[in-house]
Amino acid sequence: MPGDLQAVGLTALLAATTTLLLVPIASPLAWWLARSSSPFRSLIEAVVAMPLVLPPTVLGFYLLIMLNPESVVGGLWVELTGDSLTFSFSGLVIASIIYSLPFMVQPLQAAFRAVPEPVLEAAATLGASPRDRWLNVVLPMAKRGYLTGCVLTFAHTVGEFGVVLMMGGNIPGETRVLSIAIYEHVETLNYEAAHMLALGLLCFSFLSLWLVYRFAGHRFEVVRG
Amino acid sequence: MSNHLIMKGCLRRARFTLDLDIDLDLSMPLGILGMTGAGKTTLLRVIAGLEPEFSGRVEFCGEVWHDGDHFDLVPTHRRGLGVVFQDSRLLPGQTVGSNLAFAMQRAPLVDAKLDYETLTKALNISHLLAESVDILSGGERQRVALARALLTRPRLLLLDEPLSANDADHRQQLIARLSDWLPAEGIPLVYVSHAANELAQLTRQLIVLEQGTVTEQGETHVLFEARNDAINKGTQSVTAMVMSADAEHGTATLQLDHDAVGALAPGDRVLLHREPIEGSGLGAALKPQSGENEG
Repeated sequence: MPGDLQAVGLTALLAATTTLLLVPIASPLAWWLARSSSPFRSLIEAVVAMPLVLPPTVLGFYLLIMLNPESVVGGLWVELTGDSLTFSFSGLVIASIIYSLPFMVQPLQAAFRAVPEPVLEAAATLGASPRDRWLNVVLPMAKRGYLTGCVLTFAHTVGEFGVVLMMGGNIPGETRVLSIAIYEHVETLNYEAAHMLALGLLCFSFLSLWLVYRFAGHRFEVVRG
Repeated sequence: MSNHLIMKGCLRRARFTLDLDIDLDLSMPLGILGMTGAGKTTLLRVIAGLEPEFSGRVEFCGEVWHDGDHFDLVPTHRRGLGVVFQDSRLLPGQTVGSNLAFAMQRAPLVDAKLDYETLTKALNISHLLAESVDILSGGERQRVALARALLTRPRLLLLDEPLSANDADHRQQLIARLSDWLPAEGIPLVYVSHAANELAQLTRQLIVLEQGTVTEQGETHVLFEARNDAINKGTQSVTAMVMSADAEHGTATLQLDHDAVGALAPGDRVLLHREPIEGSGLGAALKPQSGENEG
């Protein structure tokens, strides 16, 4: 049981960290995707949406290749921090950010697209600089998009399994998150413990989605692959 | 160079080119007249810095706002403008008070007699301050947009059909207010309208646009007198405001200018060449021989 509580805490920490980091990463990307007419837009949109259709094991496999200590990125990380990115909490955060990127980007993109250009023009004539317009016109109008993005990203990260298994394994206190703990309980035929965690996750997922539908309507476009 | 507006250059679109070469002293309020699609709104957008594809020079009070390809010499938010768009463009989901506060918070500190209280009372919106702009009528939205534009303490006021959704009484009141306020505050005005009576009351110089080009330029009363002479010589014209339009039954109620009432007789057929839109103005030459009017 203490191991399960530790897994719950670690999962919450991973989901919160991923969500917090994804807000500043996804915001400019979603803004560009919503407003740009660049011919590369559809290409970037496809790349961002890849985690929706890719099997998590494929993503986890490539992340393992890219981030292991023998790779350029992984090697640099070891030099800087002394720790390995694979089979560590830091590696899980990076993997979660990539895996959950579309869950943050797509609701934000939809919210930004709904901000009428004429309103931004009017704000400019009222003396608002581009930054001012973004903070005081776009953000208030996109707050439902942010709520949706944050809830979906958090919930999706809580439910991660394949990528975590590939990248992080099952190290208590470091990479043993809820879904891994459930898998381990089932493997060891400890169905009672598996039930406890699985039912908790079920309720959590339902509440998350209900929150999105209740407060953000249907204004999100995430399609689970 | 005080209040001089210089615009030289062109803006090319697929089916339209705005070709400008004007040098105007905006110490006298300027009116812009022209049919739908003549380029009136586009001209205002060029002044406001909202047409990045404009190739040429825009200068106001000796300050170069736009020159050739260097679009952002002075970006829109630093031009010190007050703009009322045809469609009001209030910040959605916010209250009237928030919309006005948005303008005031970014306005320069100047000693202006037109304070918040005076404006909201005179424009008859003081009872709406706590209301969401999303529930306002078209006329109310235009009055809020006008108050908001004036609260920016503009160096230059650009009004694009700002009264079209208001009823005749409100329009007259607003014209009277603007006629008092703008000279007193020394705010240069560029006023776009289909309504000849509004232009005659509010402006002292006029340019007429046709298909993106200035075809007439001069003092408002001189140009309108020339048009009246044309009427007396047989090429009569009417201006009217569309009060309501019923597409289902193919009927529209027009409020004609005083002169136009005498120019038409009961039973005269009026042929409109564009769909009448409620709140918009119509202006056209009459053909007495056929009794038809091209609107």
